[in-house]
Amino acid sequence: MNSSWWKGLVVPAALIATAEVAMRINGSTSMSLAAPSDIAAALAAALLDGSMLAATRDTLISAGAGLAIGGLLGLALGILFGLVRPVDHLMEVTVEVIRPVPSVAVLPIALLVFGFGYTMEIAIVAFSCLWPVMIYTRSAMAGIEPRLMEVARALRLSPWARISKIVFPAALPRILVAFRLAAAIALVVAVTVEIAINPLGLGYGILVAQQGLQPALMLAYLVWIGIVGWSLNTLLSLAQQRLLGRAARVEVAR
Amino acid sequence: MSGLKVTALGVAMLAAAFTGATHAQTSINVGCTATTDCASAAVALSEGIFEKNGLDVTMTLVGLNSNIPAALLSDSIQIGGPTPSVFLQAVDGGLDLVAVAGASSTSATTFDTAGVVATSASGIEKPQDFVGKKVGAPGIGAFLQVLFSKWLIDNDVDPREVDFVEVTFPTMDDTLRSGAVDAVVTAEPMMSRIIANGTGQVAGYFLETLPERRPAIFYAATRTWADANPEALAAFRASIEEAADIVNENPDKGRQAIAGFTNIPMEVLSSMKLSVSDPQLDQEQLDWWVTTMNEQNMLQGSPDTATLIQK
Repeated sequence: MNSSWWKGLVVPAALIATAEVAMRINGSTSMSLAAPSDIAAALAAALLDGSMLAATRDTLISAGAGLAIGGLLGLALGILFGLVRPVDHLMEVTVEVIRPVPSVAVLPIALLVFGFGYTMEIAIVAFSCLWPVMIYTRSAMAGIEPRLMEVARALRLSPWARISKIVFPAALPRILVAFRLAAAIALVVAVTVEIAINPLGLGYGILVAQQGLQPALMLAYLVWIGIVGWSLNTLLSLAQQRLLGRAARVEVAR
Repeated sequence: MSGLKVTALGVAMLAAAFTGATHAQTSINVGCTATTDCASAAVALSEGIFEKNGLDVTMTLVGLNSNIPAALLSDSIQIGGPTPSVFLQAVDGGLDLVAVAGASSTSATTFDTAGVVATSASGIEKPQDFVGKKVGAPGIGAFLQVLFSKWLIDNDVDPREVDFVEVTFPTMDDTLRSGAVDAVVTAEPMMSRIIANGTGQVAGYFLETLPERRPAIFYAATRTWADANPEALAAFRASIEEAADIVNENPDKGRQAIAGFTNIPMEVLSSMKLSVSDPQLDQEQLDWWVTTMNEQNMLQGSPDTATLIQK
């Protein structure tokens, strides 16, 4: 780490200070904006009374379970499509028709089928996470060194041994990148579902604060979601480096 | 983290998810939006009236009124507070819903709780001035916009010549100030704030010319639920009737209950008129809404209002 890391903070700090001064001088009565100091106070209050942490738990459960389900399905489909070309061709139209459907567009149907609660949110998050993981995995399969596959054939490895001993390790760096991307999508989709329809979690917190005419609390939720998202990404990127060491760094650098 | 641990975590999360999603089915979850219209339910809950009548009631704040029919169908809520337009459009679309009790209705005492507010730069003063102007409304086809359009029609203005855009309540003042819209169709508590901030003036009270007792919100359920739970429904109706009297006679209790349900700060609510709680609902009121919606081509068929209020 170099010693001038703080330089990156100059611009945000100046922007926050400007916003604070502007709000104070104008004596804003806006119902959708609030001064940074009020937002910080609302954030602290909501963290202390536990409401924001409970909401964070709900959102992370939905995003995490959706990511796990969608990611594993995507991984399985990606391996299948990547290794067995005829299946890939057979499913191409089906997949390309379903994939572009925006996850938010299935919300009304999901509400009818699942009702409020975790299940609906998990289903939609899983739907959104499936596709990037599937496509990355499929292309990772195509990117495996052909000689490795020849070795597998020469050794007469069973299909399972081929996947676990050759395919998976070779494709792992790309698959992890896919999961990191999907994790970011999972959080975005979970919060969107909560704002639009589902009465739980951080998104619902934003909605209730907005409708309750508490702009400071609403923006505090927004800031908190940013912090949660940033922490998740940092954690995942650390985990990726720890798990893969050099290989991960090479892959990310590409 | 090892693969096994990740899997275990996933399974644990799933297990937590499914146990969290299952709710006791005998209790009633009432879904309403963040307005004062469901004050009777909020009071019945906070004053223990539901409990006294043997009901285990919870209330859920629903973000969008138009989500209420789907929430009813999925049994996430057993009773909801849709606007008549949302209810009738859902019924028109084939959802088997019934009205079970009145929540709030229009009244000469509350006509000034909603209005259309225009900037002075827009030059809007009378209904005819809205032609070709951009007007923000909280929801297209929603309660306020339908009644505003009716007001235009009654004043010989075709609402199709007005450019409607959706603007949420909390952003109305800012949107109007920025000039992005010429006027907003709004209601309390936003309306008096917009006027107090000097952003615009009232260009029309479109509820003023309405007949008395036009429902604004009523309680509805699926026909299946209403048929299967006649005792719970009777208890619900009795509770709402008792609570409605409290809301109308002691508005501060209504405000307290609404503050508890919606998180709207008391200082905002204290200066605000509550909608009149009106537990009765009859077919003539629904017919009026059908006629009003038909004037604006909002319905495909003609709902049979005789069957839409649970006996």
